[in-house]
Amino acid sequence: MKIRTVRYVLKQGVINTYRNKLMTLASVSTVAASLLIFGIFLILVINLNSNMKLLTDQPEMEIFLRAEIKDDQATKIEEIIKKDASIASYTKVSKDEALEKAMKIMGDNAKLLEGEDSGFMPISFIVKLKDSLKSDVVAQEYKKLPEVDDVTYYMEIINLVAKLNGWMRVIAMVILAVLLAVSTFIISNTIKLTVFARRKEINIMKYIGATDWFIRWPFVVEGLLIGLFGALIAFALVSYGYNSLEARFNQDLISIGNSMLRALSLNDFGFKVLGIYVVVGILVGVSGSAISMRKYLRV
Amino acid sequence: MITLSNVTKRYSNGTIGVSDINLHIDKGEFAFIVGPSGSGKSTLLKLMLKEEEATQGEVIINGYILSQLKRNQVPYLRRSLGNVFQDFRLLPNKTVYENVAFAMQVTEALPKEIRRRVPTALALVGISKKANAFPNQLSGGEQQRVALARALVNNPPLLMADEPTGNLDPETSWEIMTLLCDINNRGTTVIVTTHEKSIVDAMKRRVIAIEKGVIVRDEQKGQYEHEDKNSTICT
Repeated sequence: MKIRTVRYVLKQGVINTYRNKLMTLASVSTVAASLLIFGIFLILVINLNSNMKLLTDQPEMEIFLRAEIKDDQATKIEEIIKKDASIASYTKVSKDEALEKAMKIMGDNAKLLEGEDSGFMPISFIVKLKDSLKSDVVAQEYKKLPEVDDVTYYMEIINLVAKLNGWMRVIAMVILAVLLAVSTFIISNTIKLTVFARRKEINIMKYIGATDWFIRWPFVVEGLLIGLFGALIAFALVSYGYNSLEARFNQDLISIGNSMLRALSLNDFGFKVLGIYVVVGILVGVSGSAISMRKYLRV
Repeated sequence: MITLSNVTKRYSNGTIGVSDINLHIDKGEFAFIVGPSGSGKSTLLKLMLKEEEATQGEVIINGYILSQLKRNQVPYLRRSLGNVFQDFRLLPNKTVYENVAFAMQVTEALPKEIRRRVPTALALVGISKKANAFPNQLSGGEQQRVALARALVNNPPLLMADEPTGNLDPETSWEIMTLLCDINNRGTTVIVTTHEKSIVDAMKRRVIAIEKGVIVRDEQKGQYEHEDKNSTICT
């Protein structure tokens, strides 16, 4: 293809998009609406996945010492843990490490802790048990020690989550795939309408001796623009909606005393969603118009 | 230029379009194809455009052997034929100038070349003044002139017109036919299907009459109807 033909095709694609305003509008809103539904579910899955990971990343059991206990006193507890037959392995979390972790969990609010001395954070031991069923007994034992402030363990949750996680992923994938297929169908149907409205035009071009691709390319450009616009609109809606919900949701989570679960910030996955939107939008737009006009090229 | 040998077209529903047609049209000829509706005139033109495929026989146009022509080569066959239709078939959202220029853009012609040849073609059919009008702002005759300019702008050796005056009043029909005659005098082979008896009779060109898919008459300087029939008409 010659450069002037490329220029012609691009120009024609843009002009057609503009001249068929109503159909463009219909197609763009269909793309946007489909991607919006798709995106809401996608974001739900992304959040669910990240929280699952947070949950499973939690230690099997964590023994927190009182905040005023310093490193030298902590060694006494460390000795006890080392000798404990029911404990398989352990890692010590120093005051500095504890502060770091806290900042990580707080995410955007981590600035509040910046520059703070780690003295107020407790030393803790992350402990893996040989037999998870004994966690209650072990926890009670350690709670009796005067240096120990609290013992937390998520054994049951972890087991449950680990099991659910596999299923969740499969279900999520299936639903996403179905949503994608439905969106593709609806979008290519709408584009089919725009092509149908111009079947006479296509027919005339064929009689003048235009090659199939010469006719098809402007439609492809049009489909691309429709997909792109739809994707951008859907992303704008989704990001605006999510941003306003995320802060409130996280506040609620904190207010009910939950420090473990949290909604991700849009920055963490926004680009991923935008990327998927643009790719899906363009793919669906382009293939939708290319496929739906095939019928009218057979003259 | 055009050779049809033993061409038969049978449609999938069993209808016979044309059967066992043998026809040869030379370079520079002007030929009318006449016949009642449903006689196979349109089928003949469709076969020449490779819009339909011959069931049997061979169609050769401008050196293209149509049965051997691949799908992606069909556009090049059509560029070597100027086409004019009864319903004009102009692109409604393009101006007169753009409609004619489009036929050249399709062939990936140089923009310089387009700017040079489109005005010439418009002048040839006498529609230069309406270059910036849209088709729906033109009369039927004017639209057909634009269609003619579009068909001619690529200088095709052959012009095919399918009932070009079918939607026009008698006077305008004469103008269009005169134009076709001029075009033929400049060396282009012209084939016209028509129902315009008076024009055919007056122009005294080759007449190919088709009835029920068969060529029933092929005369140089012929008339619309057979002379016997003609003589029965009261004068």
